[in-house]
Amino acid sequence: MASRKEAPSGKSLDSPVRQIQIEGLVRPHHQALQGSEVVQGVLLGLVVEDRLEITNCFPFPQHTEDDADFDEVQYQMEMMRSLRHVNIDHLHVGWYQSTFYGSFVSRALLDSQFSYQHAIEESVVLIYDPIKTAQGSLCLKAYRLTPKLMEICREKDFSADGLKKASVGYENMFEEVPIVIKNSHLINVLLWELEDKSTAADKHELLNLSSSTHLEKSLQMLMDRVDEMSQDIVKYNNYCRSLSKQQQQKHQYIQRRQQENAQRQSRGEPPLPEEDLSKMFKPPQPPPRMDTLLIASQLSTYCQTIKEFTSQNLGKLFMAEALQGTSSYS
Amino acid sequence: MSRFFATGSDSESEESSSADEITPKATGTTFNKPNKEAFTTNLILCCPLRFRFEELTNIIKTIRNAMKIRDMSKCLEEFEQLYRAFLKSKTIVDKEGVPQFYIRLLADLEDYLNQLWEDKEGKKKMNKNNAKALSTLRQKIRKYNKDFETEIASYKEVLNSSTNVISLCRCQDEESESDDDEDSEDWGSDSVDSGGESEDNEGAAASLAVVFLKKYKDGRRKRHKKIEQVEEEVDEDGEAEEGGWEKVKGGVPLVKEKPKMFAKGTEINSAVVIKKLTEILQARGKKGTDRAAQIELLHALSGISNENNLGQGILVKIKFNIIASLYDYNTNLAAFMKPEMWKKCLECIDELLDILFENNNIFIGENIAEDSENLAISDQPFRVRGCILTLVERMDEEFTKIMQNTDPHSQEYVDNLKDEGRVCGIIDRLLQYLESKGSTEEVCRIYLRRIMHTYYKFDYKAHRRSLGLQGETKSEQDQEESEGEDSAIIMDRLCKFIYAKDRTDRIRTCAILCHIYHHALHSRWYQARDLMLMSHLQDNIQHADPPVQILYNRTMVQLGICAFRQGMIKDAHNALLDIQSSGRAKELLGQGLLMRNMQERNAEQEKIEKRRQVPFHMHINLELLECVYLVSAMLLEIPYMAAHEFDARRRMISKQFHHQLRVGERQPLLGPPESMREHVVAASKAMKMGDWRTCHSFIINEKMNSKVWDLFPETQCVREMLVRKIQEESLRTYLFTYSSVYDSISMETLSEMFELELPTVHSIISKMIINEELMASLDQPTQTVVMHRTEPTSLQNMALQLAEKLGGLVENNERVFDLKQGVYGGYFNRGQYLAKIQLFEYLESEGAKKSQY
Repeated sequence: MASRKEAPSGKSLDSPVRQIQIEGLVRPHHQALQGSEVVQGVLLGLVVEDRLEITNCFPFPQHTEDDADFDEVQYQMEMMRSLRHVNIDHLHVGWYQSTFYGSFVSRALLDSQFSYQHAIEESVVLIYDPIKTAQGSLCLKAYRLTPKLMEICREKDFSADGLKKASVGYENMFEEVPIVIKNSHLINVLLWELEDKSTAADKHELLNLSSSTHLEKSLQMLMDRVDEMSQDIVKYNNYCRSLSKQQQQKHQYIQRRQQENAQRQSRGEPPLPEEDLSKMFKPPQPPPRMDTLLIASQLSTYCQTIKEFTSQNLGKLFMAEALQGTSSYS
Repeated sequence: MSRFFATGSDSESEESSSADEITPKATGTTFNKPNKEAFTTNLILCCPLRFRFEELTNIIKTIRNAMKIRDMSKCLEEFEQLYRAFLKSKTIVDKEGVPQFYIRLLADLEDYLNQLWEDKEGKKKMNKNNAKALSTLRQKIRKYNKDFETEIASYKEVLNSSTNVISLCRCQDEESESDDDEDSEDWGSDSVDSGGESEDNEGAAASLAVVFLKKYKDGRRKRHKKIEQVEEEVDEDGEAEEGGWEKVKGGVPLVKEKPKMFAKGTEINSAVVIKKLTEILQARGKKGTDRAAQIELLHALSGISNENNLGQGILVKIKFNIIASLYDYNTNLAAFMKPEMWKKCLECIDELLDILFENNNIFIGENIAEDSENLAISDQPFRVRGCILTLVERMDEEFTKIMQNTDPHSQEYVDNLKDEGRVCGIIDRLLQYLESKGSTEEVCRIYLRRIMHTYYKFDYKAHRRSLGLQGETKSEQDQEESEGEDSAIIMDRLCKFIYAKDRTDRIRTCAILCHIYHHALHSRWYQARDLMLMSHLQDNIQHADPPVQILYNRTMVQLGICAFRQGMIKDAHNALLDIQSSGRAKELLGQGLLMRNMQERNAEQEKIEKRRQVPFHMHINLELLECVYLVSAMLLEIPYMAAHEFDARRRMISKQFHHQLRVGERQPLLGPPESMREHVVAASKAMKMGDWRTCHSFIINEKMNSKVWDLFPETQCVREMLVRKIQEESLRTYLFTYSSVYDSISMETLSEMFELELPTVHSIISKMIINEELMASLDQPTQTVVMHRTEPTSLQNMALQLAEKLGGLVENNERVFDLKQGVYGGYFNRGQYLAKIQLFEYLESEGAKKSQY
């Protein structure tokens, strides 16, 4: 299955990495992938020209409550050293994470990807959906933060104004990097052989008509996000209202002050002393907008996956209808 | 008291206060010593004798006192002591023979007891202890007297002859006759005394001791006689007073009080007594007044006025004040009466009622002014200020207070509760009295008291009668009880009177609530409900005072339980919802204070709240209440949950029930249910699956029977109703939950599955179809339900929910726009939203398409 190649998109990206080439060997082969837990790991490889070649990976150890003092960095260094000993690429080029139904856009991902990209400019995050892959369509995507977002993250300015200035929207937070999967000949041979051997029934999974469970799950998650979004908006709304109210008060105050001063001046009295307005009218704490942005981004990813999924399924349904029609004629 | 005996010597008197007054004795017995000096010569002979006999006579004296005040338990106690003392002096008795005074007491006591025994009326009035003592004493004395049969017989003979002697004497002395007449009842034994003595004297056959004692007694009497003689000259009334003196002297603790009351020789008439009364009353409420002493004083005063025949007016007045001062005894409002005070109070009220019933010409009322009272003049009707109703109401409150302050799980509580009968009796009597004499308002008030003592009691005899089991009453008492009026009729009569006549809103409200409660308690659901709805109490009960609100809560709860018994699950649930949802049922019903409120209220508030508590015997079982509520909620909620499984905004019918379910789910390990709640939760889970048999076994089993269901009077009916409800609701739940997997289902199968008759199944399903709860149609010829399958699938449901949520989101977003703060970051634009809308349209079309296959 890994033999399918993603066509590199022609769109040029203004980043040091334009394409990612993944060795067929690289597969996050976690046992835990079957479960619902999110697994993460380290990608190793090389940068060749504008191509990032990922040649190996290893997982982060699973965290348990018991060994809280486990040193992750130590483990990574140890691991990379060991790999170097067996003459494998040991350059740290990014990390990977599993996902379910496309839910991966989160604050944690943003933060860690930011720190990766901050330290190693070329690093990417690979998102891998084990469930979808099991259903017959490989779901492997590489993402990088856009330079604009990097800028914002560096400055840690998540206020509405900051985001506005940087003109960062949910759609240009992440950039997807095209992936090319390259296998060695040996593997290609093996795959051909496997395809030959596998019975027709094995391939039918792709034609499975039942879509409701997947859709239900996706919808459920979509709904949860929408709820969160709603809450955020209400919060923001409240903030805006209190801000404008205060501004009004401030305005009134200033006006009154000016009037009084004008009166005093006409009477020849000295004007009133200036007071610190910012102290008198402390602006309310603006709610962080980054979370909303992330939710929006997540929502759009969900919509994307659902769209993809349903368009595929609709095709299948039409196919089935046609089949049924012909069978009833015969 | 004839002059004949005035010559008795006083040699025994310890105080020898009247020794100087001794006149030469008339009798010529050699052993009788006139004074102490003479007596000492005989000391060696007499000493042990005297000692023993003195002991006996002292006891006899107490017995006679006890007899006078009809204190049987005291009598019994003393009699036993006497018996022991007599055994001790056996040697002397052997030597000297049985002393005459001893025989005399035995004979008198027996007569007295027999007389009491015959007096059925009096016996009824006696309290339990006394009645018991009476029968024991009677048996004992009968047995004991057998040993002295001959002596007693001879004594009685003497008695008969002596009465002749007395009558002779009476002729001789006119003035002493009046005295005798007056006191003849009280002093019957005295004449016997004298008779005995005369016999002794005449026969001169008695032993030294007998005479000795006789003299002693006579001496005492003689002393008074002396005083009397002096006073006689002053006034005829003095004689009457003398009797009074004697009587007071009878009560041991009163001897000391005596000088305080009246100076010697004061003329005792109503004016004086009234003056004294006001004098005593003035001390009332003042600091340093001994309240106990005051009560004693008043008692003494009543005794005096009684003795002097000052008329019922004064007596009534004094009684009023005695009762009032009994109530006054506790200065603290929270403290409750001591048992002895309480007993006294009951007795007093009883006596007062006796007087009022006997004398029709006494008018009492709180509106009679102090100065327009008429206490003395007997030819006009008496007018006395005072309100017996208030006293009885106060008594009732005191009773409640006593019950509140007794540990409900002790024997003491049961004992106290036995007084309820007396309280009810008093209220009943007063009710009779007021019906003929009182004003409407007073009648209303006493009716309410009566209602308050009736409404919460389940009328078992009426219940039995309605079941047709009346003939099986076992004892006489049962028979007697079942002859009375049904409490339902009584309630109806009393309440209707109040509805018609009452002008204060509160009494009517209470009466209505009690009436509803009573109806509900006896399963007359429709009457109870109609009354509740007609009264419109639900609208304005929040303005009532807390006790009425508690009563209202109790009524609502009882109404709910009644509805449950009748199978009106929804009504039951609605009635109980308010009480149960607060989680403070205990507090709302006045059945206990909640601990968590301790810091929220101060000590004063707590006291007030404590005073509002309902006594334990009127409590409504809280577990029963909760169980009824939870089972009702289960029967309503489970089908509802099944029907609205995918509803985005489904309302909870019962929050508390959901809470219980959640608690059940949170259990890490689910064992077999233990508590009532766990049973209901387990049953609910079974019902969710449509498994009525398991549900049934969880709701109705040994444990639940003993905990809850057996508390109902008609247990069997309730259980049958419950089983049926469980079957029906399980069927509904089953159809809701599994209709999607059926194309069609035979009603016969359903009727077999749920053990319901076919018509019932038919009607349930029809109802569901009509209410559009079930998308199906009935196929008549095949008796099957054909499902339409038009309910949205879960996916479609979700899409709908999502659309709804997005609608909310857009609305919120537009509000942000409205504030015109500019567009931020462009994270939202119309296009995106439209894309989403398209998505849902697509989803729905796909769902519709899928349903075609």
